[in-house]
Amino acid sequence: MISVVEPASPTKGRIKSRDILCALAGAVALALAIWAASTVTVPIDSDLGLVAVLPYPFWAGVVLLNLAFVAALRGNAAGPASRPVMIWLIAVLVLMLFGTAIFVTDIPRGEVAFRHLGIADALASTQDINPDIDAYFNWPGFFALLATLLRASGIDPVSVALWAPVVDIGLWLAALGVLMRHLTTDPRRRWLVLWIFCLGNWQDQDYLSPQAFGLFLYLVVIALVIGPLGAKPPKFPGFRPAGLAVWWRGRSPAESRARHRLSALVVTLLLVVVISASHQLTPFMVLIAITALTLTGHVWPSRLPLIAAVVLALWLAYPASAYLDGHPPLADAGLQAATQANIVDRVSGSPGHLLVVQVRMLLTVILWALAIAGALWDWRKKRLDIRVVLLAVTPLLLFPTQSYGGEMLIRVSLFALPFIAMQASSVLLPARGGTRPSFLATGALALCCCLLAVMTVTGRFGNARFDVFTDNELTAVHAVQRLAPPGSAVISAAHPTPWRNEGYLDHRYRTIDDLCKAGLSVATCGPLVYDYARHNPAGGVILLTRSSEASLVVQGDISKQGFDEFEQWLRSQDSVQLVFSNPDARAYRLAPFGVAP
Amino acid sequence: MNRGRVSRLTLALGLAAVVLSVAALVGLPAPLQALTAAAVLVLLPGQALARLLHVADRALGALLVPVLGFATLTVVSTAMFYLAVWSWQACVVAMSVITVLACLERARQEET
Repeated sequence: MISVVEPASPTKGRIKSRDILCALAGAVALALAIWAASTVTVPIDSDLGLVAVLPYPFWAGVVLLNLAFVAALRGNAAGPASRPVMIWLIAVLVLMLFGTAIFVTDIPRGEVAFRHLGIADALASTQDINPDIDAYFNWPGFFALLATLLRASGIDPVSVALWAPVVDIGLWLAALGVLMRHLTTDPRRRWLVLWIFCLGNWQDQDYLSPQAFGLFLYLVVIALVIGPLGAKPPKFPGFRPAGLAVWWRGRSPAESRARHRLSALVVTLLLVVVISASHQLTPFMVLIAITALTLTGHVWPSRLPLIAAVVLALWLAYPASAYLDGHPPLADAGLQAATQANIVDRVSGSPGHLLVVQVRMLLTVILWALAIAGALWDWRKKRLDIRVVLLAVTPLLLFPTQSYGGEMLIRVSLFALPFIAMQASSVLLPARGGTRPSFLATGALALCCCLLAVMTVTGRFGNARFDVFTDNELTAVHAVQRLAPPGSAVISAAHPTPWRNEGYLDHRYRTIDDLCKAGLSVATCGPLVYDYARHNPAGGVILLTRSSEASLVVQGDISKQGFDEFEQWLRSQDSVQLVFSNPDARAYRLAPFGVAP
Repeated sequence: MNRGRVSRLTLALGLAAVVLSVAALVGLPAPLQALTAAAVLVLLPGQALARLLHVADRALGALLVPVLGFATLTVVSTAMFYLAVWSWQACVVAMSVITVLACLERARQEET
């Protein structure tokens, strides 16, 4: 089970014309995608996002690349195309699916990467961790790492955020590639799992973030737990206590050398500590996964879950206690609350946005359906790997524990994705043991890959109307950070605002939709925002950007007319002064009560 | 690698950690500084620590280089922040010390 079997490679040393053709097709596909994406202008004026504005050569590139991959995967009777060709095709796919936005604009997509840069900057500036600032300072591991790397290297932080998705996916694939070596000896299946992992990765969690770092380390932990720390359980005797005890004692280590197991255990414990220090959610996933694998007899060091639980509990009890004092972890637990936050609340907005949300759900459902079909197929053939099933299913346990800001289902689907891809590959590539897929199976696989690729681009870049920023918006944010007095409130209309990468601790950052939970109508929300800004001793600045407005309109929180009315009302109030304006943004300074504007 | 002799790779790793950390602290032009910092903070300590583990699987061994580099730097920098002694220069020194210590341990293993 543990042994890593290197498949025979009869093509070694010889360059096949088919391999060259596949590699060339990959190069052409990449050139088409880069050229097509570079012709797109921002802002993106479609509720469908990038999919509506990418010209047809991009899609021709996507189809060509998938055909090249499937041809390379089919290979010949001896196996798939050579390793460099397969790696090259996967690298092209990563650039096309996860780097598309980089070829459209040189501003990182989404707000959160900017915020994370700001946290690293704040840490480096204060050289201290104050856990009372916010949740991020209770799990500072990733930000400490980022601060050190940015300051020591002198790299432009925004460039790091821009390229982070490509780097993160590269790291995830590297870890998943190693993990696959312990789960299957079929080289075709290994490559296909990596491909499906990319094609199903619409969740958009690969930006510069602790969760992206956490997922990378999680996959490495699973690779270690299944690999050198793995165990071979005997045949399960049933649930009678006596039989269970015999079964438990009958386990044998997959790695026979004790020194190697010890090394792997030390690395695993180091990673558990780093994950616990870096992200709220990932350590729970690590704990659940290794507990499930241990209880089913697939992990040799049986106390590993206990040690991981102690590390996690200690982190929560001490460094993260400041945050947990006011935010008990299970405060909004429950299936109903989780369903409301993760599904019901998300299915709203303009018709275009609704279509994008439905495509995301459909993509997830298709992959899970393929995985279930693959599991049934494997079960019928008596080769179902229970470890893969456990790793695919256990993330679901996280779903009812917390709504996680309405993102829990996204995180659950991402944690499960590598193993869903693995199980789905069973039905997409039913032939085993190095058997070359038939033409019919190859055609069906190519069709499936093309369909998944289109859906992933649709789902992943479906928010491009409001998460792809313009230079004008960035200029406006810089102007506001310069114009806002220290300690003042900086209020944006909504969260997609490229702010807080500098001066994270200098202002009180809020958004109008956060301040007005009851609704965004002028009558109720206007006075609330106005009073909040003016009651602040240093006053406030309200920033209205194209992207934040689009976010509220596209997601159905307010109409375009309603937003204009809000701004008109704001302009008409006392002590409100327009201090910055460009085609994509306006900034209003609000003097504090008792101070003349 | 000959039994009883320290391998060239171990020596090279240890020396590179010392030389490159000095270069990173002194400061280099833009792209070189980034490459040097990545080597001193992540790749060299990761490689030195991975070589102590005697991992049989080459792919896993290669993966552990960045993993151990990132993980160790996270622990070191987070600890420094909590102790309020953080500076990127201190992290460079600490990581090069870790690399040299790992190389010394590896050399001891190679000599026996």
